[in-house]
Amino acid sequence: MNILIADDEPLARSRLKRLVDESDNYQVVGEANDGKEVLLLCGKLNPDIVLMDIRMPDMDGLEAAYHLSHLENPPAIIFTTAFSEHALAAFSSNAVDYLLKPIRKDRLEEALKKARKVNRAQLLELGKNEETDHTRSHISAQISGNIHLVPIEEIYYFHAEQKYVTVRHKNGEVIIDEPLKSLEEEFGDRFLRIHRNALVSKSYLDSLEKQSSGQWMVKIRGVNEKLEVSRRHMTQVRKQLKQLKK
Amino acid sequence: MQNPQSDHESTENGDSASPDDFFLPDFCNVRMVFAVILIAELLAIVLALAPMNTTSNRWEDLGVVSLFIQWVALISAGVLCIVRPWLRRLSVNIAATASYIVLIFTTTLVSEVTYWTLHWMTADPSVSMGWYGDFLLRNLAISAIVSAVALRYFYVQHQWAQNLEAKSQARIQALQSRIRPHFLFNSLNTIASLTRINPELAEEATEDLADLFRGTLADSSYEVRLKDEWELAKRYLHIEELRMGDRLKVQWNVDDLPENALIPQLTIQPLLENAIYHGIEHIRDGGTIVINGDLEKDIITITIINPMPEYTRPLERASNKMAQENIKQRLSALYGHQGRLLVTQTGTQYELTIRFPYVQERI
Repeated sequence: MNILIADDEPLARSRLKRLVDESDNYQVVGEANDGKEVLLLCGKLNPDIVLMDIRMPDMDGLEAAYHLSHLENPPAIIFTTAFSEHALAAFSSNAVDYLLKPIRKDRLEEALKKARKVNRAQLLELGKNEETDHTRSHISAQISGNIHLVPIEEIYYFHAEQKYVTVRHKNGEVIIDEPLKSLEEEFGDRFLRIHRNALVSKSYLDSLEKQSSGQWMVKIRGVNEKLEVSRRHMTQVRKQLKQLKK
Repeated sequence: MQNPQSDHESTENGDSASPDDFFLPDFCNVRMVFAVILIAELLAIVLALAPMNTTSNRWEDLGVVSLFIQWVALISAGVLCIVRPWLRRLSVNIAATASYIVLIFTTTLVSEVTYWTLHWMTADPSVSMGWYGDFLLRNLAISAIVSAVALRYFYVQHQWAQNLEAKSQARIQALQSRIRPHFLFNSLNTIASLTRINPELAEEATEDLADLFRGTLADSSYEVRLKDEWELAKRYLHIEELRMGDRLKVQWNVDDLPENALIPQLTIQPLLENAIYHGIEHIRDGGTIVINGDLEKDIITITIINPMPEYTRPLERASNKMAQENIKQRLSALYGHQGRLLVTQTGTQYELTIRFPYVQERI
């Protein structure tokens, strides 16, 4: 069985690697410093199990797990942590395993033996836990089997078309399969609803423009295309623009 | 890019306006109104009992004096009730002076009304101009003394209550300020890892950890020498450096500070822990914590600057506040308004400053 270790502390990684190497049937195929690297290495190395620290810079273990769970064939995840937190209480009830540092060898072997895949439902359940306060730092999309990450702060807008949502960002666009409503709930402090089909980043919101047809459009800094504003959302858009001017 | 979480944010923790940080009590409160009536009546009784000549009827005197004092007291309370929100925005001295003027002015007003009412309604010849001057002056003198005593009483009472509050808060928070369990278990994990790779380093780390815990288990309501506090902070940072590798860099600029200065125990270490836990740890490539120390006009200023990640979650910021709140309380319990803690965040730079008077260790 191939194992990927993710922890931002080199000494924690080296100890875990030693413990894994000492047990039969398991070998460490890679080590990651943070959540993003986990996603990258998972695409490259296809590990069976990821031993993942929860607190990591850039992208933490919980978010990385969330993105991984979107893969067609995601690895099993075992979380490692120094101190059990609320988040883990939710996990244990979902029978997802976690190990407390310093990790004991027998506990590790036990966990590896029964390692199972986290499914999306479990992760979504975790996201709902208010205490974990989990808003993602990235949006992920599958592009030919690999996970493509878009940092939230680089997104201009989300635009819903039929079943899918287009994420327009600094380096192009990706398509995701998430309803606008849940995106609005999660990122409500950064994005503003301007139409039934669009959420625009407050930081890129530029100005309002009236078309000759009488339709109001919003200009977005960084992109050429304009988006329709519905009458229902006009007041909110005006208010936001006023705030930005201050 | 506008990030609502890392917006420029500046909080002055020194004098945040909590509901009861103003020395004047809330006179709109029913219990307070009752207290005012009671105290006014006691004053009336004292004044009625005081005159030495027994010719006048003391009961009659009490009635008149009560009526007068109650008017003054209730009108003053009413005015102070209304202007309190405005007064509390002023400095203590100005607010006290303003309240004092309100009291004196009310006395003058009620005296005037009383005099002219008596003058017109009863054609009493004793209510003459000579009587008027005497009446007004006596009232003003009594009011001036009683008002001063009352305001002083409110002030002292408030200080005492705040002090008590600060002390008990400090005690509770000293308990909460113990090192994060996260740090303990991560350090143990580091040591476990080092025992095989580098036993000497493991030994050192164990010693550091032991010293650190001895420090945190001591009563943190005391002051220690700055030298000892630096020592403790360095032991802490040594462990963190082992744990985080080259992601953590520290720059000390504290040579200007006298080593014999006193500082509340366990002030620096929790702040450094915050800087790492909320700052450096979240940054992939780590960063540098800068510790600046400055002594000017007998005031010690210590500034801790650390980089912050671009994206912080609201929850984490809340737990950051707890350690700061604790230190702020302890500083103010020890040094009053001279002990301060200030936070400024500009973009991704987080700057925390503590200020307190330079007190030398007594030998």
